[in-house]
Amino acid sequence: MNLAWKEMKKNKVRFLILGSIIFLVSFLTFMISGLANGLSQDNAAFIKDLPQGQFYMAEDADGTFNLSRIDSDLQQEVIRKEKEAVAFSMQMGFLNDQDDKQQSVAFVTSTASTLFSTVYQGEVILDSSLQDKGIQVGDILTNNQYNGKFIVKGFVAQKKYSHAPVAYISEEAYEEMYRVKDKQLIYVPNSEPQNFKGLQAYSNKEFLNTIPSYNAEQLSLNMIIWFLVVISGLLFAIFFYMMNVQKIGLYGILKAIGVKTSKLFNMIWTQMVIITVVSLVLSISLSQLVNLVSPKEMPFSLTISTCVFSDWLYRSYVVRATD
Amino acid sequence: MTLFTIDKVRKTFKNGEVEEEILKGINLSLKEGEITALVGASGSGKSTLLTIAAGLQSATDGQVLFEDQNLTTMNTEQIRKLRASKFGFVFQFSHLVPFLTVEEQLLLMLDIAESPLKKHEQQSEVHRLLQLVGMAHRKAAYPAVLSGGEKQRVAIARAIIHQPKVLFADEPTASLDSQRSQEIMQLLSELTTTLNITTLMVTHDEEMLAYADRMIKISDGAVLSNTLY
Ligand SMILES: Nc1ncnc2c1ncn2[C@@H]1O[C@H](COP(=O)(O)OP(=O)(O)OP(=O)(O)O)[C@@H](O)[C@H]1O
Ligand SMILES: [Mg+2]
Repeated sequence: MNLAWKEMKKNKVRFLILGSIIFLVSFLTFMISGLANGLSQDNAAFIKDLPQGQFYMAEDADGTFNLSRIDSDLQQEVIRKEKEAVAFSMQMGFLNDQDDKQQSVAFVTSTASTLFSTVYQGEVILDSSLQDKGIQVGDILTNNQYNGKFIVKGFVAQKKYSHAPVAYISEEAYEEMYRVKDKQLIYVPNSEPQNFKGLQAYSNKEFLNTIPSYNAEQLSLNMIIWFLVVISGLLFAIFFYMMNVQKIGLYGILKAIGVKTSKLFNMIWTQMVIITVVSLVLSISLSQLVNLVSPKEMPFSLTISTCVFSDWLYRSYVVRATD
Repeated sequence: MTLFTIDKVRKTFKNGEVEEEILKGINLSLKEGEITALVGASGSGKSTLLTIAAGLQSATDGQVLFEDQNLTTMNTEQIRKLRASKFGFVFQFSHLVPFLTVEEQLLLMLDIAESPLKKHEQQSEVHRLLQLVGMAHRKAAYPAVLSGGEKQRVAIARAIIHQPKVLFADEPTASLDSQRSQEIMQLLSELTTTLNITTLMVTHDEEMLAYADRMIKISDGAVLSNTLY
């Protein structure tokens, strides 16, 4: 006789409450994970999506790439040595569209590389989020520090920096706008850190962490997620514990009339597994649905693998807590 | 014929540093088919003796013998099997499983006792037993809606459906009024006689002794008297 199932059928409300707690808390965890992920994409997808490699900035910039100036001789030297290397700069700024509406963008310019979009003088390639704002290929954009005009050449997906869409512009335009010829950074994909005089190497992750807003944002969100995981695990463990404490008398009777102890444990575990699996499947599907229907402006990104990972975390935690 | 023997059974409990001897060498035997009533003051160790006899806890010293088996030398799984197939239990509060219907309570017991009956045979057996205790009409009810007497009837049916050899009852009528107590005892004695079940019953109630074949009085952890009616 399946006691676990019989009990759940009889005490629907009790198990429904337990299930909905797990559902709500895990859903919240997934949502915040999605938000953290989305924000981090929004903040630094441009950097995050680059393959693992090394970022170099001037040593005296002290980890702040905005202050970094890499001497062009040095740049030449690195690029000569590393075929794949690309020198680039980025700077926040504005583009005005034909209706004179300002769009905040992150201007990026680089030496020739397959990892960065190639743009010629007078052209601009934009992150596709600007397409949703009504900008089209062939539109003409201006910037008040630049005398010429930018013709929109095309769009690229998922290139964001500091919550702004990236705008790739030519080296000449960048030089005119910001009055610097030297690049801020050199990036060498798929490589180990090397010693260049006057340059400091950073891995992708280290470089991301030098971006102050990125660091602070992710740290606080990750802390929330961890707290949620811990709290929900504890909550679940406590609830389950209390439920079983209430039933100690019943377990005693069942044992007295000859039910195997292993059967009792099976009963407890079956119930726990059923509840967690059902609530987690529901909360994962719902969060995926949110992922699908959430408005494009909402920074939300939740892949199944993130869910499954937090799910795994969650459950290994709960299992340890209840043992 | 002696079916069950309790031989020089001692039980000590540790309360912190203090060791307390609750049973100080109890000897008694149950004759096949008899109802033996166990009486004594509150705290004299009646329940403790009953649970030791039923293999629910072990004796500190002494032996418990059932048929040709010695419970004191058996491991937990062997004792569990014995309990599931040869013993039946009725407690003061019926202790039915709250989430099972009356019918399911009995089916569970057959399941635990590994009854060889087929599904539909089990169902008709359950029906037969419920008719015997006058509860067939409440088959689909859950314990929460039954009266105390009704619960105890179901508990009795559960205790005997797998045709145990020995029935252990710890104050089976203590939660009932005098009228219901008489009915339940009547039922219990009828059933155990027809089914030839040997019964060990703890009771407080003088009136219930009328249904017993033998009365054993314990006091201060020892048998004070053993009276055959
Ligand atoms: N697990 C235990 N640990 C410690 N002491 C116990 C334990 N079980 C019983 N005792 C003690 O043993 C004594 C006898 O208990 P028992 O329950 O057998 O009495 P009883 O004769 O059934 O009493 P009553 O008529 O009130 O049911 C009591 O003093 C009780 O406190
Ligand atoms: Mg007692």
